[in-house]
Amino acid sequence: MSSIAELLWAEKYRPKSLDEIVNQEEVVTRLKKFVEEKNMPHLLFAGPPGTGKTTAAHALAHDLYGENYQRYLLELNASDERGIDVIRTKVKEFARSRVPGEIPFKIIILDEADNMTADAQQALRRLMEMYTATTRFILIANYPSKIIEPIQSRCAFFRFTPLRKEDVIARLRWISEQENVQYDIEALEVIYEISEGDMRRAINILQAAAALGKVTVEAVYKVVGLAHPREIKEMIKLALDGRFTDARDKLRQLMVEYGLSGIDIIKQIHREIFSADLKLPEPLRVLIADYAGEIQFRLAEGGDDEIQLNAFLARLVLVGKKLKA
Amino acid sequence: MPTKELPWVIKYRPKKIADVANQDKAKKEFIEWLTAWLHGKPSKKAALLYGPPGCGKTSMVEAAAHEYGLELIEMNASDFRRREDIERVAKLAATQMSLFGSRRKIILLDEVDGISGTADRGGLNAILELIEITIHPVVMTANDPWDTKLKPLRDASKLIAFNRLTETVVARVLSYICKSEKIECDDKALRYLAKLSDGDLRSAINDLEAIARGYGKVTLDLVKALVRRRDREYSPFEALRNLFMSKYAWQAKLAVTQTNIDYETMMQWINENLPNQYSDPEDLWRGYEALSRASVYLGRIKRTGNWDLLSYVFDMMGAGVALARMKSKYRWVKYSFPQRILLMSKTKQVREIRDALARHLAAKLHVSSRIVKSDYIPMLQIIFVNNPKYAARIAIGYNLTENMVKYLAGPRSNEVLRYIRELKERGVPEEEKKEGERVKRTRRTSGRSGRRSSGKGTQTQLPF
Ligand SMILES: Nc1ncnc2c1ncn2[C@@H]1O[C@H](COP(=O)(O)OP(=O)(O)OP(=O)(O)O)[C@@H](O)[C@H]1O
Ligand SMILES: Nc1ncnc2c1ncn2[C@@H]1O[C@H](COP(=O)(O)OP(=O)(O)OP(=O)(O)O)[C@@H](O)[C@H]1O
Ligand SMILES: [Mg+2]
Ligand SMILES: [Mg+2]
Repeated sequence: MSSIAELLWAEKYRPKSLDEIVNQEEVVTRLKKFVEEKNMPHLLFAGPPGTGKTTAAHALAHDLYGENYQRYLLELNASDERGIDVIRTKVKEFARSRVPGEIPFKIIILDEADNMTADAQQALRRLMEMYTATTRFILIANYPSKIIEPIQSRCAFFRFTPLRKEDVIARLRWISEQENVQYDIEALEVIYEISEGDMRRAINILQAAAALGKVTVEAVYKVVGLAHPREIKEMIKLALDGRFTDARDKLRQLMVEYGLSGIDIIKQIHREIFSADLKLPEPLRVLIADYAGEIQFRLAEGGDDEIQLNAFLARLVLVGKKLKA
Repeated sequence: MPTKELPWVIKYRPKKIADVANQDKAKKEFIEWLTAWLHGKPSKKAALLYGPPGCGKTSMVEAAAHEYGLELIEMNASDFRRREDIERVAKLAATQMSLFGSRRKIILLDEVDGISGTADRGGLNAILELIEITIHPVVMTANDPWDTKLKPLRDASKLIAFNRLTETVVARVLSYICKSEKIECDDKALRYLAKLSDGDLRSAINDLEAIARGYGKVTLDLVKALVRRRDREYSPFEALRNLFMSKYAWQAKLAVTQTNIDYETMMQWINENLPNQYSDPEDLWRGYEALSRASVYLGRIKRTGNWDLLSYVFDMMGAGVALARMKSKYRWVKYSFPQRILLMSKTKQVREIRDALARHLAAKLHVSSRIVKSDYIPMLQIIFVNNPKYAARIAIGYNLTENMVKYLAGPRSNEVLRYIRELKERGVPEEEKKEGERVKRTRRTSGRSGRRSSGKGTQTQLPF
């Protein structure tokens, strides 16, 4: 890598080895045992975004096989390659191939496996048994319940938790020092609050804020405001005000101009529902959150993005009307 | 006799305006408009005849030309209708008198809703100019005049509506044809054919001819065995109207299945027009709730391949949507083309670049392209718009293409691209290089060392 090139810090500072992983002590201790024994079962890593699941999978492989671990590894992201074909071709071929080194197995990482189709999961189930001797799987998911039971039962389960405040802040400070970035400690605290234990998000905010200059509380808010368009808030207010079609126009702007998916938008809406900016009787917040959850579920089931969110907005119009009455 | 070989729809085409069945209002309006023209005082220089297929639009113009002795100049959807074509054929005709004495002309631009935005570039504007300068009556026809692209034409024209023919009239025409052709027929059979035609006389005549030629007679049993309702010819506009007017669940389900568009597109039409139709918030919500369920079923079908679920999709988008109306009254509203589809096609190029960028980065960042879009791209945009120098180094680090840089940097693309060129030519100044190496060294040894750092940052120089 030539020195004129710069990388995204979340990637640049991804821990290489298990030793570097922050938090997740319980998980790390157990994984290190596998390294010592040079053996492991199939694994299922579950937990919220940006908590080190993908990182841990790579680190484990790194510690097992050494620097050139990539040769022993097949990594697939099921969100992008989710169909049964991939399982029957790429995965199967790799599983069948010979083992190149002293350790008697290779590893297949199926990242974001909760997005695999049901068919693909069924196809995987036999593969996991047929090639156990030579291939170990690491499945990674945010929502392990979307992994079918027969697969769950073939894996050892590891739960990752949101990172603790002091660990996130320490990591952000360390990165800032590596990068010669000036910062206010309050700003790092704000970053933690916003990112809710998602380290990837925290590091991303840090890097974007640093690109503006010194990392101050204002800079962080500026970055977050930009990354999370105020259109979301405006859209909610328009709907509560009974202006459905205006709210729908905002929604389209978010989808088309910002390129946000339905899931991204409903998640951001969810954050706004409980913000003090939004004047709402408390019980209504709960009601709306409940419906947002339902919509998020329907989106995950494959419902059309705009139709689902329009249903949500129509509900807000109704809530708004009752509020006025 | 050669006429024997002519298809009946042509053989029995109206010869005079009076032969046109039904359409009394349209005939009256059209005759008024045309005679005003012939006396030199038209209210509007063009007329736009619109209505469903096979109800007499084209026939009436031809009959009128015949009856009034006008030379008919016609362009229809089978002709190219680019600006130059319209100018060559129609505009020339519109501005010149006939060669032979004072014979007048009528210019028919048939099926203007079929003028393509791309293949017939400039066509619509050329028609507008033609209407401005014409010295002969200009008549246009369309099935669906409400498309927004036709608005200028609508404004420049007298609108004349044609309706589906009534069952009685269709049956009467069929019976007349049978008599003329000496075909034995049974009234119930004709009645049934008329019903199946949905007021499209052309399709009814074609069905009649097919049976008569094959069997020499037309009976109810034959009709029932041989003719199916066309599935269907209903434009999305009509389908929406059928849907929102439905009183029964079965009607509503029929409405969403009998269209000439696929059900996913139909969903987008409903999605677009629900708020126009349902003014009451409760109805609106119930309507969207049903549509939302329909789209979830469709999502499940796509994921699991379980096509048995398809009828539930129709239950929800048809009956569910139609019966959601409990408080609003049905009223006539204008339906519009789904903006979503327009927006998507307008921004197609931008989306393609974004998708390419997401795929490109996903592999390098060990995440899905969805996460690249939601987590990384927004923050990259901030960096690219606010700090072009630094952005240039990231662009180099990830081998971004020029289009990707433009997508991220927007108004500051040129600056970023310039820095990229400079960096690649000159490299990075010496101090910065050393800085880079120092970072690499410390990284290897200081995995969890974050905890030892203290207080606020002390450096004053940013590396970028
Ligand atoms: N426990 C951790 N220790 C150190 N860094 C971490 C940790 N968790 C996350 N990070 C940082 O965040 C980035 C993203 O983490 P990672 O890809 O492992 O998340 P993930 O748990 O796989 O998230 P997702 O569920 O969204 O895929 C890493 O590159 C690293 O910089
Ligand atoms: N109102 C009518 N009176 C008499 N015959 C009709 C009538 N409508 C349709 N027909 C018969 O159907 C045939 C097709 O009609 P015509 O070409 O006028 O349809 P159109 O309204 O122009 O339809 P499209 O929108 O599909 O072009 C005619 O040749 C004629 O035989
Ligand atoms: Mg991951
Ligand atoms: Mg016609």
